[in-house]
Order: sequence, then C-alpha cells, then structure tokens
Amino acid sequence: MEFGSISFLFYFLPIAIILYFIVPAKFRNLMLFICNIIFYAWGETAYVILLLISIGFNYICGWDIASHADDPKKSRRSLAVAVIFNVLLAGFFKYYKWVLGTLNVLFSVEIAYRELPIPLGISIYTLQILSYLIDVYRKKVRPQKNLLNFAVYVSMFPQMISGVIVSYGEIESQLNRRAVNLNKAGEGVCFFIRGLAKKILLANGMGMIVTEIMNMGFGTYAMMTAWVGSAAFMFQIYFELSGYSDMAVGLAKIFGFQFRRNFAYPYMAVSVRDFWGRWHVSLTNWFHEYVYRPLGSDKKGVARTIGNTILVWSMIGLWYNDSWRFLIWGFLSGVLLVMEQYVYGKYLEKLPKAARHIYILVLLLLGWAFFFNTSVSDSFRYIGSMFGIGVQGFLNLQTISLLGSNWLLFLLCIVGSTPIGYYVLDRMVYNYRNGRGRGGIACLIYLLMFFLTITFFVSGFDSSFLYFSF
Amino acid sequence: MREQKKEKPLKKHQVVLKVVKYALALSALAYIAVLLLFTGGSSQSFEQISKGVEAVIDTDALTKMTVQDLKRYYGLNGADYEGVSLYVSKSSLSAAEVLMIRVKSVDQIAEISTAIEKRMDVRREDFEEFAPEQVNLIDSATVQIRGDFVFFTISDDAEQYKKAFTDSL
Repeated sequence: MEFGSISFLFYFLPIAIILYFIVPAKFRNLMLFICNIIFYAWGETAYVILLLISIGFNYICGWDIASHADDPKKSRRSLAVAVIFNVLLAGFFKYYKWVLGTLNVLFSVEIAYRELPIPLGISIYTLQILSYLIDVYRKKVRPQKNLLNFAVYVSMFPQMISGVIVSYGEIESQLNRRAVNLNKAGEGVCFFIRGLAKKILLANGMGMIVTEIMNMGFGTYAMMTAWVGSAAFMFQIYFELSGYSDMAVGLAKIFGFQFRRNFAYPYMAVSVRDFWGRWHVSLTNWFHEYVYRPLGSDKKGVARTIGNTILVWSMIGLWYNDSWRFLIWGFLSGVLLVMEQYVYGKYLEKLPKAARHIYILVLLLLGWAFFFNTSVSDSFRYIGSMFGIGVQGFLNLQTISLLGSNWLLFLLCIVGSTPIGYYVLDRMVYNYRNGRGRGGIACLIYLLMFFLTITFFVSGFDSSFLYFSF
Repeated sequence: MREQKKEKPLKKHQVVLKVVKYALALSALAYIAVLLLFTGGSSQSFEQISKGVEAVIDTDALTKMTVQDLKRYYGLNGADYEGVSLYVSKSSLSAAEVLMIRVKSVDQIAEISTAIEKRMDVRREDFEEFAPEQVNLIDSATVQIRGDFVFFTISDDAEQYKKAFTDSL
C-alpha cells in the first residue's frame, strides 16, 4: 500500500487513527502492530510470514548477544551470526538477480533463475534491525524485553516505505511511553499533507517532464533540453523522497512518535560533503555509525580513509538500487568526497558561496543522470548530451516550450527547495508577534493543499513511489 | 606447550536461545525456498516459456489471437507488456481460453486481474442461457501469478496447461 493511494488515504489511515485513539493506552502498541501488519499484507501477503520470522529471529538474537555480555568473544560471535543472516537475507532479495544477470553477461551464459519481488521495506527494516543488534552488542541499549515493542519498532508502517531509518536508540524510550494527543496529531497531519503535496503536485509534475524528455530519444533534443531533463529529475527525486519522509514524520507524530527530519535543504549545499550532510540524513548517519566507524573512519591514515570513504559511498549507491549505475554513482560520490578532502577542498572554500553552490548543482545534475537512465551506457550518453554531444543544437523551440509550459512548476520547486518556501508558509500559519498560531488560516491553507493534491491525484496522477522497494 | 583457554559451557537459557535462533533462521530459509518454488517468476524469456505452453495447447480446438483481439476481448494494449499470448476457442460453443502475459512492471498485474474478471463476467453472460456447463468451466477458471507472469486458463485441460506453464518457468 502506498501513502498516496485512495485505499491508504480514505480507508486504512482514518480507521487506523480512530482505533489507535480509542483503545486504552496499554493496547496502543498492539493496535499499531496490527495496523503495521495489515499495511504490509495489503500488497505483500506472502512476505508477512518472512517479516514475522525476522522479528522473532532478531528478538532472540538481541537476547543471545546480551546473554554473553561477560564474554566478548561469544558476544561477538553471536553478533556476527545475526549480522550475516540479516545481510544475506536482504542481500539475497535485493541483489541475487543483479549478480546472476551480471554473471550471464560477463561469461555469455544463460543461468536461468526464479524471480521473486523484493519484500516491501526490507532495506529499511534490515538497517533498523542491525542498528538494534550492534547497539545491544556495544551495550549502548539493553535488549528489548517486550516482543511486541520490538515488533512495532521493526514493522512500523510510517517509515517502512519512506526511506526514514530510525535507529533503535532514538526510539527505545518512545516504544514504552509517548505522548499521544490531538495537538501533536494535528501537527502530524500538517506534516503529512505537506509531504503528500510535495509528492503529488511537485515530484509527479517533474516526473512527467522527465518522462517526456526520455521518450524523445537520444539525438532528438537540444543540449539545454538535456539539462532541463536532469533539473526536472533533480526536483522529482528530492520532492519524492523528502515528501515521503515528511509523510512518515507526520504519521509518526500522529501515533505519538518523534522521528528526525531526513532532508535539510540539500540543494542549498555548497560542497559534496555539505550535500551529504543534508541529503537522506538518516541513511548517511546509519552508514557512518555502523559501517564507516567500525572500518576505522578517518583515524587509520590517509590511504585507509580514502578506501573507507569510497567503499561506504559505493555501498550507499548499491543500497538505493541493485544496478551498476547506482554503484558508479555511489563510487563517484565517494571519489568526490575524497577529492574535496585531500585535493581541492581548501581552494573550494575560498570561492564565493554562489560559485560553490553552482559547483555542487552542476555535479548533482550530472550525477542524477545515473538514476533516471536505464543503463550505464545510456547514462554516459545522456551526460554526453549535456555537453553537446549528439544533440540538435544548443537550444531550440522544444526547450523553450518545455520551460514555458512548466515555468510555474520549476519556480515552485526552486522556492520549495530553499528555506524560503517553508518560511513563507510558517509566517502565514504563525503570528510571531504574539507567539500564537493562526488556526483558521492554517486550516484553510492545509485543507486547500489537501484538496488540490487530491484533485490532481484522482485525475490520474501516478502515486507510485520511485523507490517503493527500498 | 601453551595451554588452550577452555570456553565456559553455555547456560541452559543460552542453549535455548541458540536453538530457537537457529530454528528461526532455518525456517526463514525454508520459507524462501517455498516462495521460490511456488510463487517465483522466471528469468527465462517470454518466448521460451510461451513455447513450453504452446507445445501442449490443443490447436485443433484453440486458435492463437492477435494483440488486436487482446484489446477487443480484454481491453488491454499488447504493446504495454513484455509479451502476450492469447488462445481462444475456435468454436463459439466453448468458453475455452488461455492467456499468458509478461508484464513490464508488477504494477500492471492489478489491471490485468481486473480485465480478466471483466472478461469472465462477459463470458458468463454469453453462455448462461444456452450452455450452463460452460459457465461452470468459467467459474473453475484459474489465474496464476508467478513473478511478472500472469497465466489464465478456462479449459477442461487447465491442469495440463498450468503444469506446462510452471514447468517452463
């Protein structure tokens, strides 16, 4: 089930909220768990059993690791078994087709294999489980006594498909006790509507431009059209991922949880390092804490730091998708981070902020080509088009028409990518002179946003999520 | 000779945790094996699988249709899919049909399922007046979804066709 679907918005969510609010507080986790399982089973019935087995296995693993707390060797062995099992399980579903496909191409063989869809949210809940197990091993958290609380943490539907990775330590206390009230729920609804509007109004609009340009075919468009296509995708992916993150944060608030925000105006960055501090923060934090740090981070010499950085960012690329394009994208991100750190970072800092901003935007526009093209060769061909190779001139009527008919959408996306958009909305909703909210105006704005979104949605806009199978 | 340090024996609750842990790990592996065997799709091409099914199809009774017919009978555009194969009975007195589609995206499966249900409704109406045994045949029709393949059969030989399909995967 997707957040932007009729069944979710008008059936599942209202019923889940009503039931959650009317049951006594001690049954709320049970109610939430039931909702999680229904959400999961909606489109992935076969994988519910796998999710339940995974919950049971990791709950036991947490206790197994903790039971050897006085024997580091046994504790480490227990952790290794748990980590290997979880990585192999997620790795099997995400990568076995890619690995076998690559072998078929490399050795010109035809190894036939059975195909299975990727279980919903497996990349998210695997990272969450690993954070729990590693933190139990590091004695940063105690193993969860209550199986239901652990099951709620692993299966929580708001973050299951949104890309928000909540480490166990962040949420441990909230699993036992959290404030559930109408004020917080109202705030959550506002977050949710903003996220939905970002997805349906902005991301989908930009997606249509990307599709239009991709359907034109190589060699039929001008060089600037290629840049427009990449810019459209840049906004599409940002508003899609950040929209879903906002929806997840909002839903979590409704159910009394507090998730951290996942995006902090990434296109305002002035370097690659700055970008990664703003983009998909929960993912980069996870890899930093549970992969980069154990590898020695930057404390074991320059060569090791370079290797660790490139390795971790290549893994991030592969986490997004099982494809060479994403591996190359992650690898290049790692290389750029290293270059900034050891080669030209000091010169970059001396440049005016606007120049640094242009630097990162150009890199991003080039880099996103690996996301929206369907093969490595097409990605490089598209990048070639952006530099005038095999195109129909620099600029033509097609480019002007694309920009002319979508200027308002581009303007909204540009404003929405900066703090200005949020600032304007915030000033309309809150009166900072008396420190009180303007309830009536807030209701009007968010209702309008919601109805506009629904209007676009029911008139045939695609609600599917770019990375539904994270 | 250096004396090897002996590991402490596991306590009872630690043994129980280990047993349950490995039992759950094994059950996960067994479950994946079951999924692969009974629900998995195939990396084989549409043509290869189609060839396997066509080898057992009774071509005296069924005739291969075009993508235009797919549009006419099911309202589906053949070009939207990776591959399409439709067989319909030559006789207007029989409801027999075999449809196999490979989708480009699993999102398309829902629209195909809806189209199949509509087609079954239409065929029920066609036969309910004069051939109730054909209505029973339509009611016993089966839809198999294996990965990105949808396989639909209305036929007395449905079991044979289904077997040919799953064996070809």
